[in-house]
Amino acid sequence: MTIENKKGWISWFNPFKYGSDRWMFALHRLTGIVLGLYLIAHVWETSNILNGQVTWNKIMVDLDYPFGVHFGPYILSLVLVAAVYHAFNGIRLTIVENGLMLPRPYRPEYPYKAKSLSGLNNVLKIVLGIFMIAVSAIGIIYIFTGVII
Amino acid sequence: MEQLILKDFGEVVKTVTFRVRRYDPEKDDAPRYEEYRVPVQKGMTVLDGILYIKEHIDHTLSARYSCRMGICGSCGMIINGKERLACQTQILELGKDLIKVDPMGNYEVVKDLVPDLSKLFRNHQNVKPFIIRDEEEPKGEYLQTPGQRERYAMFTDCILCGLCLSACPTSASDELYLGPQALAQGFRYIADNRDLGFEERLNVLDSKHGVWRCHFSGACSEVCPKGVDPALAIQLLRQVMTTNVFVRFKQKGTETGPERKSVSGVS
Repeated sequence: MTIENKKGWISWFNPFKYGSDRWMFALHRLTGIVLGLYLIAHVWETSNILNGQVTWNKIMVDLDYPFGVHFGPYILSLVLVAAVYHAFNGIRLTIVENGLMLPRPYRPEYPYKAKSLSGLNNVLKIVLGIFMIAVSAIGIIYIFTGVII
Repeated sequence: MEQLILKDFGEVVKTVTFRVRRYDPEKDDAPRYEEYRVPVQKGMTVLDGILYIKEHIDHTLSARYSCRMGICGSCGMIINGKERLACQTQILELGKDLIKVDPMGNYEVVKDLVPDLSKLFRNHQNVKPFIIRDEEEPKGEYLQTPGQRERYAMFTDCILCGLCLSACPTSASDELYLGPQALAQGFRYIADNRDLGFEERLNVLDSKHGVWRCHFSGACSEVCPKGVDPALAIQLLRQVMTTNVFVRFKQKGTETGPERKSVSGVS
C-alpha cells in the first residue's frame, strides 16, 4: 500500500532554497489572498452607509482606531504595499509568461544555472522593483501626511 | 605526487547525522523519522551515506538508485529541504552536520524513500512524446539543420527524475496538473521541425490542467539536475499557444530526404 505525500497548498509559502522567482510567487499568492479578503471587507464597510450617518461615522472611527489605538494608516499602508506589489509583479508575469524577455533555447553548461530565471527577467525585476518602492513611498507619505509628491 | 593524491583518501573527515523519513507499509500507520550516525569520507555523496546505513546500520532502509552518476535519474530525494539527486549531492558540500532526507513530495510513497512515479510517466505519455507524421511508413530520413535542432536540443536532456514535479507549487495543490516535465517535453516535440502533431497535442496541453496552470515560480528550473530549464519551455509553449489564437500556428513538417536503399538490398 502506498501513502499520499502531497505537499499541499501550504507549500506555496515555502519559498526557501528555490531562488527569487519562487519568493515572488509566494508573495504574489499571499498578497492576492490578502487583497481578496480586503475587497470583501471593503464592500461590507462601505455598504454601512445605507444604515445612516451615525452608523457610518461610528464604523469609520472604529476602523481607524482598532482597540483604541490609531492603527488605521498602518493597515492602509500594508494594503497599499500589497496592491502595488501585486500589480507590478503582475505586469512582470504578463511579460515573461508570454515568452517575452526570455532567452532562446540554449545549451546548458555546468553548473546548470537556469537562464530563464536570470538575464532580462532579473532586469525586469529590478526596474519594476524600483517603481514599486517609489509608488509605495509616495502612497505611504500621502496616507500619513496628506501631501502628494 | 602519488602521496599527494592519496593523502585524504578513505580518511573519515567527520561524522554526520542522517535523519531519514521511514515508512513501512506493513508495520507503520504513519511515516516516522529515524536518525543514523554516518562517518563521512571525502567525496562521499548522500547516496553513499544511505548505502552505508543500509550496509552497516539498518538493512530495512529502501531507496531507488541505479547508476550513481546522475544519468538514470532514480535517486531523487528532498535533501535538506531541496529536491536533489542523492548521487550528485556531496555531503561535505552541504556543510551541515544534520542531513534530513525525505522522499519526493507530490508522489505517493511506496516505502521509505521510494516514490511511486506512475503519475510522472502518465503525464509524460499524455503529451505524446514522439514524432507524429502523416504518412504511415517513412520513405526516407527526415531532414534537419543544426540550427533547427538547436531550437529544442536542451529539452532532450530530460532524464525523467521527477524532481521538478516535486518542487512545483502548482503540482502540490493540483493533482491533475501535467507538471513541468510533461509540458517541457510537449514543447520539445512541437518545436521539432519534423513533427506534425501540434493539433493532436492541443487538447492535452491547452487545458485547465495544462500549460495555463503554470505560474512561473521557477522552482522546476532551480532544482533540475540537468539544466533542462522546464520553466523556459513552458513559457515558450505558452507563447506558441497565445500566438495560435491570432495567427494559426502551422507546422510544415520537414521534407523527407532522398529514398535510400539499404546495403543488404532489403529496404
